[in-house]
Amino acid sequence: MNAEFEKLKIVSKYELLKQFRRKRFYGALVITIFAQILMIALYKGLDLPRQMGIPDKPELFAIFITSMGTIAILGAVFFAGDAIASEFEHKTGYLLFVNPVKRITLVVGKYIACFIATAVILILAYMISAVALLGFYRQIPSGILGSLAIALMLACCVLSMAFVYSSLLKGSMGATIATLLTFMLIIPIIQAGLSYAGYEPWFMPEYAGDAVASTYGISLQQAFGGMFGGGPMGRMARMMRTPDPTLSFLVLSGYAVILFQLSIWMAKRREML
Amino acid sequence: MTEAIAIKDLSRYYNNFLALDNLYLKVKRNEDVALVGPNGAGKTTALKILCGLLRPSSGTAYINGVNVIEERERALSEVGAIVETPEFYPFLTPNETLSYLGRLRGMDGHELKSRINEVLKLVKLDEWADIRIEKFSRGMKQRLALAQAMLHDPPILILDEPTLGLDPRGMVEMREVLKKARKEKTVFFASHLLAEVTKVCDKVALIDHGRLLVYDSIARLKRKYRTSLEGVYLKLTEEAI
Repeated sequence: MNAEFEKLKIVSKYELLKQFRRKRFYGALVITIFAQILMIALYKGLDLPRQMGIPDKPELFAIFITSMGTIAILGAVFFAGDAIASEFEHKTGYLLFVNPVKRITLVVGKYIACFIATAVILILAYMISAVALLGFYRQIPSGILGSLAIALMLACCVLSMAFVYSSLLKGSMGATIATLLTFMLIIPIIQAGLSYAGYEPWFMPEYAGDAVASTYGISLQQAFGGMFGGGPMGRMARMMRTPDPTLSFLVLSGYAVILFQLSIWMAKRREML
Repeated sequence: MTEAIAIKDLSRYYNNFLALDNLYLKVKRNEDVALVGPNGAGKTTALKILCGLLRPSSGTAYINGVNVIEERERALSEVGAIVETPEFYPFLTPNETLSYLGRLRGMDGHELKSRINEVLKLVKLDEWADIRIEKFSRGMKQRLALAQAMLHDPPILILDEPTLGLDPRGMVEMREVLKKARKEKTVFFASHLLAEVTKVCDKVALIDHGRLLVYDSIARLKRKYRTSLEGVYLKLTEEAI
């Protein structure tokens, strides 16, 4: 048990080294910084509160600039899509799997490394937000920590889904695209269908992920309701529900754990053909 | 005495294709045995099962008496292996790669560092120790593959076409390494280069269509069939068609 834990630390360390050596990590860093600066510039430059007819306050600003759901999804997918599939696709598994290490140790180590890489990106984004909040309002709403926690759990959920596809599919690209399609197309379609039918889709990961913006004590309806005027988008925004942060965190944890277990089971069964 | 390698009635199907057909083979400790056979004979499949990369459809395999199917990790702790043409993580250097794999095998500190230097020198990659592997040629990767197989000084080497991708000098050097290793290790390697086999091994196991055709010393086979190893190979594989 102790020896296996040592191996887990070694796998995590070297997998993390691999992540930090890749261009995509720095690409994700640059995109995150750029997106954050753009969000801040848009909020302040367009004076969004005035346009929406609501008073400006740090919580509203925080909602706009700490809506990191997309960054969490993209970051996790970038790092995890090829985590397992590439060992088979690029034949590095012939090197790694002939060592006396349990497959579960390798998968968990890879997961930890991917999580740390994604967390670095997310924490950087939140730090930029915190600095901007301090700069403009001289205060940081306490909800930012809850928002970060939910963003990290959303990242875990996406990582687990990416690991499932990565354990199942032959190629890294296929796993990456499948995860993106699942989180950015399939789940939102199901979620929209449920919303239109009048059900609150609290059990959908995308909806639960929206809770990154609901930890500041302002409902999403309040925040986004006036944003799109009176058209269909405006009607949709006014129908917006605010996910419960605690419930959402639990839902995301559930998905993360179950999907990760599934990915371990599949990775253990997979053979180097 | 427990055999170093024991393959017992191994069969493996790929869908409906029978790649290994009740293969039965034992390799004693410190023996050097070449597994030879035509392309698709089942050599790599047998080695993959021995290294825990594939599960057999039936039968089992033992390394130093440890069942590979049931106790994969314990069995593999005694083995250094090159299977197919392994690729390396392009973002790591040989030093980092060997350090990673060595630590996974319980090596650490000064022992690991000096052993890495030793094996890199052995495969003539010591000057490339801190260069990222993405810049390496096919032959250099094959040398590094041998270095990682020898890193923990295992009593058993399982090698699949170890000279693949090497230039003539590289092949000679690889042969020298294997000749040195065979004095104290069990070497079980798959190849279809018969000239290479005669220079490195004493015994051959010839398989075709997943079945063992013959398993004996090269000298005895030559005497029995009154021809070269190549002649024996051609005769037996022709009969098997």
